[in-house]
Amino acid sequence: MTTGTQGWHADPALLSSYLAGDLDAVAGASVEQHVTRCETCRAAVGQLLDPRLVDRTWVGIRDAVERPPLPYPLRFARRWGLRESTAVLLAAAASLRGAWLVGAFLSLSFATSAAYASGGTALAPFLLVAPLAPVLGVAAAYGPRQDPLEVLIATAPYGRTRLILLRTLAVLVSVLPVTALLGLAVPGPPWIAAAWLGPALALVPVLLALAAVVGPRLAAIAVSLVWAAVVVNSLRRSFEPTWPVEAAQQVVYLAVAVVACLVIAIRAGADRQPGVAL
Amino acid sequence: MTSIELSGVGKTYGRTHALADVDLTFDRGVTGLLGPNGAGKTTLLRIVATSIAADRGEVRLLGRDPHRSHADVTAVRRELGYLPQELGYPSDMTAFGFIEYVAVLKEWNDRGRRSQEVRRALEAVGLADQATVRISRLSGGQRRRVGLAQALLGDPQLLVLDEPTTGLDPAQRADLRRTLSVLGHRSTVLLSTHQTEDVAALCERVVVLAGGTVRFDGAVTDLVATAVGRVWLADEPGGDALVSWRTGTGRHHVVGGTPPAGADPAEPTLEDAYLLMLGPDADRVLERP
Repeated sequence: MTTGTQGWHADPALLSSYLAGDLDAVAGASVEQHVTRCETCRAAVGQLLDPRLVDRTWVGIRDAVERPPLPYPLRFARRWGLRESTAVLLAAAASLRGAWLVGAFLSLSFATSAAYASGGTALAPFLLVAPLAPVLGVAAAYGPRQDPLEVLIATAPYGRTRLILLRTLAVLVSVLPVTALLGLAVPGPPWIAAAWLGPALALVPVLLALAAVVGPRLAAIAVSLVWAAVVVNSLRRSFEPTWPVEAAQQVVYLAVAVVACLVIAIRAGADRQPGVAL
Repeated sequence: MTSIELSGVGKTYGRTHALADVDLTFDRGVTGLLGPNGAGKTTLLRIVATSIAADRGEVRLLGRDPHRSHADVTAVRRELGYLPQELGYPSDMTAFGFIEYVAVLKEWNDRGRRSQEVRRALEAVGLADQATVRISRLSGGQRRRVGLAQALLGDPQLLVLDEPTTGLDPAQRADLRRTLSVLGHRSTVLLSTHQTEDVAALCERVVVLAGGTVRFDGAVTDLVATAVGRVWLADEPGGDALVSWRTGTGRHHVVGGTPPAGADPAEPTLEDAYLLMLGPDADRVLERP
C-alpha cells in the first residue's frame, strides 16, 4: 500500500510538538494531514502518546457504544443528584418507563376532568384513581415473584428488599407531584389535593405486605378492589363526596399502614429465605 | 477454612424429601453433581447459593452461617456467583446492559471499574463482540453464556452453576472447561449436569445424588473404578444386563449382569459407572432407609 507521501516522515521532535499543541495552525494542520495518510508516522504518534490516555479514550468510546443509554427521566434525575448505579437499577424497572407514566397521567387526567365536569359533586373518580396510581406503579415495578431473574436479585448482595423499596420510592417520587398538581384542578376544598396522599401511602405498604405472600399481581387486584369498595360504598350511602379522605378515615388508613409495616417487619425476621423480607 | 460445609442438611417440599440428611464439604476445585431428575441437585445448589434455606441441618458457607443474620448472608453473597437452572432474561436488554444490571446488584458502584468488569466477564464467555446485541436476538447457547458471564463477575470464591453446559456446542464446552479449570485453582466451583462427559472433562470430584441422598462422593477416577469388571464387549446383547447396546463396530456394549458367552472385558466409562451406581443391581449402592 502506498502512503502517498514521497518517503518523507515527520521527525519525533516535530510529532512531540504536534501532540503537545505547540505548533502553529499551518504546521499543525500539515502534520495532521500527513499523519492521517502515513502509517509509519501514525505508529510513531502511537509510541509518543501516553498509553493511559489511549486506554481511557478507548474505554470511553466503548462505553459510549456499548452502554445502553439511560431513559430520559433518569438522566434528568441524575442532574438532581441520583447516583449513577442507582439509575442503572431503576432503568431496569418497568414502571419507570414512559408508557406507564403516560398511562398513569392519562387516567388521572380523565378522573380529574370527570370531577371537574361535575362541578365538585362527584369527586369519586379522582379519589378512586389518585391513590391507586402509585399502588399499581409499585406493583408493576415489583416484578412477578416467580420471575426467574428474581433468583439473581434475591441472591445478590444488594438484596431484593432494598431493590423493591428503591423502586417503590422511585414510583412515588415520579407519580406524586403529577397527582398533586392535578388534584389542585379538582373542584371542592383545596385540601383534597393533598388528602388523597393518606390512602395512597397506606395502600402501598399493604400492597408490599400482600405481594410478599400472593405475588404482586393478585395483591394489586386485591388492594384495588378494597379501595374501590370504600369509594363506591361512600357513594351508595350518599356520604359527603370527600368522605373517603376525611380525618376519621385517615386515622384508619394510618392504622392499616402501621399494621402492614409490622407484618413486613415480622416476616423479615421469620422468612425461610435468608435475608429476604419482601 | 472449608468453603462449604453441609451437615445433616434436609429440605422437604410438601411430602417430597428433596434432600435427606446430606453431609458434604467442598473446598477449592471443581465438583460435579450427577443424578437423575428430582435427585436433589438443584435443591442442594439453591441452598448453597442462599436462594432457599434448608429445613434441617447446618449450613456453613465460607465459615459463616447464612441463616444467622443479614450481615452474614450478605457477606456470603458478596463472594458468590450463581447460575440458576432457568434464568429469564429481560428481552429488551442488551448483553452488556444485563450484565451491568447484575453488576450493580453485586455492588460494583464505580462506573469505570464496573464497565471493565462487565467486559472481562463477557470476554471470559466469548461474547465480547455481542455486547450490544439484544438478548432476545441471541441464540440459546449464547444466552446461557450471558447467564454464565454474570456468575463470573468479580471472580467469586463460591461459584454455583446449575446445568451450565445446557445448550453449549462442543467448542463452547471446551471453552467453559478452560474457564472453570482456571477458576478451580482459587475458587470452589460446584456444578450440576446430566452429562457424564462434562463431569469427566470438567471435574476432579463427583457427587452422585439420588432420591435426595448422596450415593457416591469421590474422585472421578474412583467412580469409574467401581465399574471395572462389570462392563464387556460381546457378540450378543447381555440377557440380564442393566443396559446393553450395539456399538458402531457391531459388537454389544454390555453394562452389568452376567457376561454373555465370549464377552471381552471393556474399559468402563464414567457413564457406565454412573448407570451401575444408580441401577437396580448396583450392590455397592446404599438404599434409602
